[in-house]
Amino acid sequence: MLHYLLKRLFLAVPMLWLLATLVFLLSRLLPGSYASESILQEGNGYYAKGSTTDRTLAYQQYLIRTGQNLPLFYFSITSSASLPDSIFQIIPEGAQNTIQQLAWRTGNWKEVYTFWRKLQELKQQASPTQLQAFAPYLRTITATSDAQQRVQAARAITKYDATLQPAQELYKLALKLQKQQGSLNFMIPSFRWHGTANQYHRWLASLLRGNFGTSYRDNRNVTEVIMEASANTFWIIFTSMLLTTLAALEISIKLVQPKYNQWRKAVMPVLFLIDSIPLFVLALLFLVLFASPAFLQLFPVYGLGYSHGGQSWLEQTSRTLPYLALPILCLSLAHLPYLANQFYNALSEAKAMDYTRTAQAKGLPPEVIIRRHVLRNALLPIITLLSDFLPGLIAGSVVIETIFAIPGTGRLLITSVQARDYPILVAIVLAVALAKVVSHVVADVCYAYADPRIRYKTAS
Amino acid sequence: MKRLLRDVQQLWQDKLAFRLAAVYLVLLVVLVLVLPWLPLPFAPNYLDLNHLFQPPFSDVTGAVNIHWFGTDALGRDVMTETLYGARTGLFISIPVVITSTFIGLVLGASAGFFGDNRLKISKAALLLLPLLLFLLFYLGLYLPLQIQQYRLPSTGIWLSWGILVLCTAVLWLLLRLAPQKAFWFRSEIKFPLDMLIIRAIEVVSSVPWLILVLLLASFMPPSVVLLSLILTLTNWTHTARLARAEMLRIREMPYIEAGRTLGFTDVQLVFRQALPNMLGPVMVVVGFSLAGLLTLESTLSFLGIGLPPTVVSWGRTITGIRSNTSAWWLVAFPGGFLALTVLALQTFSYYMRFLLKKG
Repeated sequence: MLHYLLKRLFLAVPMLWLLATLVFLLSRLLPGSYASESILQEGNGYYAKGSTTDRTLAYQQYLIRTGQNLPLFYFSITSSASLPDSIFQIIPEGAQNTIQQLAWRTGNWKEVYTFWRKLQELKQQASPTQLQAFAPYLRTITATSDAQQRVQAARAITKYDATLQPAQELYKLALKLQKQQGSLNFMIPSFRWHGTANQYHRWLASLLRGNFGTSYRDNRNVTEVIMEASANTFWIIFTSMLLTTLAALEISIKLVQPKYNQWRKAVMPVLFLIDSIPLFVLALLFLVLFASPAFLQLFPVYGLGYSHGGQSWLEQTSRTLPYLALPILCLSLAHLPYLANQFYNALSEAKAMDYTRTAQAKGLPPEVIIRRHVLRNALLPIITLLSDFLPGLIAGSVVIETIFAIPGTGRLLITSVQARDYPILVAIVLAVALAKVVSHVVADVCYAYADPRIRYKTAS
Repeated sequence: MKRLLRDVQQLWQDKLAFRLAAVYLVLLVVLVLVLPWLPLPFAPNYLDLNHLFQPPFSDVTGAVNIHWFGTDALGRDVMTETLYGARTGLFISIPVVITSTFIGLVLGASAGFFGDNRLKISKAALLLLPLLLFLLFYLGLYLPLQIQQYRLPSTGIWLSWGILVLCTAVLWLLLRLAPQKAFWFRSEIKFPLDMLIIRAIEVVSSVPWLILVLLLASFMPPSVVLLSLILTLTNWTHTARLARAEMLRIREMPYIEAGRTLGFTDVQLVFRQALPNMLGPVMVVVGFSLAGLLTLESTLSFLGIGLPPTVVSWGRTITGIRSNTSAWWLVAFPGGFLALTVLALQTFSYYMRFLLKKG
């Protein structure tokens, strides 16, 4: 059995690896990152007071420190006109587009890059009064897509002060680039090999060591952040799973008996109706009805209350319970119809078997027949249903935690999506996928426990 | 096909719930189509800043038009928003359902039909396949996109597509000519199609749908087209699984064997003979997945992810409740409309499945 389970877990590894790789690579598709938003923009947070140059420097240092200046994968296939990643990444985001555009138009990224470097040198060497005079020309040089205008602007700068060395070089380069304008060099693909010094390799290597990296937002360890959030989510999911399962079992056991026929006709449509209400609408209805001053205010609405510290486990539970009651109720109720219906089907199938008739012939009361004979035989499909039920609950907890503002994994996921905090996103997705694999393995164990035939077959 | 129509007619006569659901769905589609020409008192996204959070049915004196369903935090009319929300929801989910069902059908049916060892491919073709994929990606997709981004002359796009066609033609010629020279290239090996498609399904469904869509949407800027693309790429697995299972059953049927003896090609067998016979179960899945898509779309817009905030949708209207929990009408009307639509779709699919089980 253990051998089989290990094999099962081992087989899931390629799937998890593929998922992680896809998610990692896709997450780097979109230009613009959390850092560029928080560091480069003016009037924004900690770096707001620094000058543009300081901010650019801070941004570059941040990229190098976190390894985001490295190429993404082991190799890259780009146009030969395109700047290599290692250079492209450390150029400030505002200038990236114009420089890349120039590189594509001329088909010669090396000279374009030197051109840009000279431009920076010029900005540093020029005196403030000169800079003021150059400003319109510099703007033309960086913004224009017309080669003629660029050359004219560069010449205007050289005329202003002939002794400025970078200005001369800038002019020469602009002339050179003008000649190369319209080249078709960009059609040629270029294959670049980066070796192991790439973002993916570093990320995967640290992942294998159990390190998911640090959050972009507060630089905390991802594992720590997720562990902290997952305690609440675990209790919500665990309790509502227990509640739903018990309720669904009771309902289906009752309904499958002939004497509750009248009840069945009333309960089934109600379940069908509840099933069609989306979870977030159901949760909001509960919120409006039971936790808002306009109707009944039975429950506290948002969050988990304030912890005073130094409380015993019991005190803490009794403090958070009123906050958790409504979310757990919503999550359970939303999943109850499907589960009850499926359990009912499983039970009625098992009830049509011969052993039920034997039990009836023995004179057992119907309730005992169902609980002792039918339920045991219907356990296999019920276990399957329960293991498939977990992912739905996890997805549901995302919605529920957002609505009731509970600091759990689901809300962490939503806030990370909004802030584009990829290390946390990737880690949550991997954890969810792993939870699904584990739930299937647990289901396998339960099969063996529920059905001796399976146990003997795998043991031999 | 004829029998299916007759059965549906029978169902229509017998079951009131089926009749109601069908009538509701038809009315909804008609409403959504003619909506821009309806004389509604307020335009969608119109801000009536004099009436914020106005409860429904309240007759404010001096107002020219009455907000029947009330207004939200910015004075937008909830009735207009609800109706246009239905339009957005259906305009996103119907194309997504059609494309994803098509993808799922083709992939699932071919996985079931060919299995792991029926599809044979020559070694030469297998070797050229990566090259072709690379060319498709580089010349067909990467270059045009970059040319657009860096605003290069658009002749470049046509040039790269022209080269792509040329290269494909050359590759095809190579494939036809080379095997005659070398025997090794001509020998065929089995292509594990079934295994590849099952792995793809496994990866896509390894994470709950909502979480996967949330994740993918976070990688892209909010837009209707990109969200539809994401939904399509994550929604095909149900249909594919079903089509594969159905095809495994159909593959062993006598009429496929008969078709084979008559000299039908594999493609003819799959698309002309087998596919029409699994349309019934697929229709059931389409109904359920349409309901799921409508729910997911409004959940996403409720969370404020995926759709731009300027797009009218049920979820966006419902989000308003978070700033004012006593404004019950913001949940009741759009949420009720959504739940009713989902209920109608589920009732419809439920009876269709019932019909198939019986037949």
